[in-house]
Amino acid sequence: MQVRAEDIADLSLGAVFLATGGGGDPHVPELICIEALKTHGAVELLAPDDLPNDAHVVSIGGVGAPTVSLEMLPSVDDAARTLEAYEQHVGRKVDAVVSFEIGGANSLIPITAAAGRGLPVVDGDGMGRALPEAQMMTYAIAGVCPSPAVAYDYAGNITTFTTPDTSTYERHIRSLAMASGGMITTAEHPMTGAELKPAIIPGTVGFSVMLGRTLRENRGRADQMLPVLQDVFAGSVYGECRLLYCGKVSDKATRIIGGYDIGEATLTPFGDEGGQFTINIKNEYLVARLDGKVVATVPDLIVIVDYETGMPINAERLRYGQRVAVFAVGCPEFFRTKRALDAVAPRAFGFDIDFVPLEKIAI
Amino acid sequence: MRIGIDVGGTHTDAVLLSGSEVIASTKALTSADVLTGITNALDTILSEDGVSQSDIEAVMIGTTQFTNAVVERRELSPVAAVRIGLPSGNGLPPMVDWPDDIADALGRHTYMLKGGTLYDGWPLAPLDGDEIDAAVADIKAKGIKNIAVSSVFSPMNAAPERDVAAKIQAAIPDARITLSFSMGRLGLMERENAALLNTSLLAFADRVVDAFTAALKARGLTCPMYVSQNDGTLMNADFVRQFPALTFASGPTNSLRGACKLTGLMDAIVVDIGGTTSDIGVLESGFPRESNVVISVGGVRTNFRMPDIMAVGLGGGSLVSDDGASIGPRSVGHRLVTEGLVFGGDTLTTTDLIVAAGHADIGDRSRLSGLSPDTVTAGNQTIHRMLDDAIDMMKPNADPVPVILVGGGAVLVTGGLKAASTLHRPVNAGVANAIGAAIAQIGGECERLVSYSELPRDEAIAKVKDEAISRAINAGADASTIRVADIEETAIPYMDEGNTRVRVKVIGDIAALAKKETE
Repeated sequence: MQVRAEDIADLSLGAVFLATGGGGDPHVPELICIEALKTHGAVELLAPDDLPNDAHVVSIGGVGAPTVSLEMLPSVDDAARTLEAYEQHVGRKVDAVVSFEIGGANSLIPITAAAGRGLPVVDGDGMGRALPEAQMMTYAIAGVCPSPAVAYDYAGNITTFTTPDTSTYERHIRSLAMASGGMITTAEHPMTGAELKPAIIPGTVGFSVMLGRTLRENRGRADQMLPVLQDVFAGSVYGECRLLYCGKVSDKATRIIGGYDIGEATLTPFGDEGGQFTINIKNEYLVARLDGKVVATVPDLIVIVDYETGMPINAERLRYGQRVAVFAVGCPEFFRTKRALDAVAPRAFGFDIDFVPLEKIAI
Repeated sequence: MRIGIDVGGTHTDAVLLSGSEVIASTKALTSADVLTGITNALDTILSEDGVSQSDIEAVMIGTTQFTNAVVERRELSPVAAVRIGLPSGNGLPPMVDWPDDIADALGRHTYMLKGGTLYDGWPLAPLDGDEIDAAVADIKAKGIKNIAVSSVFSPMNAAPERDVAAKIQAAIPDARITLSFSMGRLGLMERENAALLNTSLLAFADRVVDAFTAALKARGLTCPMYVSQNDGTLMNADFVRQFPALTFASGPTNSLRGACKLTGLMDAIVVDIGGTTSDIGVLESGFPRESNVVISVGGVRTNFRMPDIMAVGLGGGSLVSDDGASIGPRSVGHRLVTEGLVFGGDTLTTTDLIVAAGHADIGDRSRLSGLSPDTVTAGNQTIHRMLDDAIDMMKPNADPVPVILVGGGAVLVTGGLKAASTLHRPVNAGVANAIGAAIAQIGGECERLVSYSELPRDEAIAKVKDEAISRAINAGADASTIRVADIEETAIPYMDEGNTRVRVKVIGDIAALAKKETE
């Protein structure tokens, strides 16, 4: 399978849905990715199983505050240059690149890099959604070392990291992002093909394209889209898809704590009937409750869409008065192990509740 | 007394207001030259008994001419787009995501220069004098007189835009320059797009303002003239010559503001029912609730704030299914007068339903004899259900809200609406836009990214407020009447604590009128 310039709008829309409220505005990364594919031609999408065990793969994406890149734009060749800098640092060529986060703009950066360097992209990613911290990535959970890693900034400044654990790496890379104007591109968590296969959420790039196409072709009222979405998710690594609620945003209060947009949104029904719905936000939508009862939690996906069009709404753009629907989607199997849940369950975000898989919650 | 004029694509409406009272109103066709339509409207208004030119203190004009020029790609001048931001954004020049026809209309004269700053003021790169000189020489050689200058993080540090503009002005003395920071808001491409559209409209703005001035002069009016902006406030003639793009979307805003004035309701839902759609907007404290999405004007993404309007496919010409259970979104539109059943056509429309139910006397009722009473009943229920559902989604909470009905299709509402606490059908609803223009005040707005850890919150907000106030005064506001209408603080995720986007909006009375009252 190939990713072509004309697939990018769908890929990006699917990726915003999977971003569960995080991931930033993909407009500019979309422009850049399309530009790169038009210049260099389509990019080969490689199933993880087709990757040789000794292949050298590196994950690539943007780290920092997506809001900043609305003002200080990235450059078209940032992604390819990051890869070049990585190859120089490790002294060898890369065989393929991979996304660390399918949710939002980071789904597009590996494709942009691969196009500029004539490399294939592995079909899959390290989150299956968007998550705020590097140690929540499947690669990190599977024990992949974050370094050697390379960061590239707006002016072409290159910083290299030799850091044994992902939590430390995350802390360092955040500080660098702030010093570099808020946003950097990184090549990190290098893997062999053999290491990658058990560590990746497979198929999410191709799936995003299909999900985006489905959303576009069936654009309309969210409740009417449910059966179509259930069909699409049933045949994927995700499985369950539920419509949790339709209503209005009657309150949204967030504030920035430690760089995170933390808070809560409250939804009330359109008519007189129905309960009150709340969603906890920490950049992404993390815990959903109906009249106080938990109906979905991270790592399962909680997605808020515009009620009229079914288009996903970013947490930064969610506001009082919007008419929305809330979907929940089961997380990939990878996150069901104890080791993974230690990193991504509600407790990892400071919520004193256990993860109960979506399909085990009675409605 | 004030005169409010609304220049729409089809109609030019005018009202004469004394305080809150509508003394006279008129609806005339918009003329091709716009001027004749305005003078005709003024003639009707000024022919009112006991009104003389000297009674008129101000004329307020709302116009869709600038929006239409962009949408129809007319009247647009070539523009040089100068962006200061390299090394960031390399390969993403100005107009990169514009539709081809409008980018061609402006001419794709783009220049990318080194400079600008990071969010915290650290320089992206120093300005390069030779690079600037080369760009200016090229603009001059091409004979381009309209120039938009943008710079990364210019809302926080406008010096690079000012410096480059000064060099352009020195080399091209008659250049007309829009600096992107004066178009507000963070978001480089959207702000730059707004500046580009504005610049391309400057020559047209001169012609429009000259025409307005000539129309007033021809009718012996010497009072000040103002034009409506998209946020429901006014700008004076000089300001329009500099910022014509700020008139975008002033139409729906004036309609909502007019509905507020006509009913005295500050918080309400306004339903404007036309031939094809019902446009539903929300009044909050007397002003339209603003939409939060990126607004595209003629296919160009901009950072303008527009009223949050929900359009439902229900109007006076909407098609009705045989059983009356489904209505719209298809409509016969302006062909209602030939295709509707009561007009001798063979299409069942919503207008036929209300005539059949005996709620209106339009066209020839006898042509509806074949219509089943069940269809009429079901159809009328469908109309009310559609509006109820839509209003319910727009209102801020589950409580019923006052609903104001305006527009020619308001006759469709014959029963009560469940979503409405009270239902209002103001007289003069047909000229709500002109009334909205007439009652407007002068506003000023400023947005900055500030760091509360560097500058205490109170001081930071005061600084942004001062800039908003000075903008309002420049736009013609009376300093002593200025009050803060809105303060919005948005923290920026993934950044250090205290990094906040602050937006302040202030409103004041018109200085020229305030002076007159104290004299």
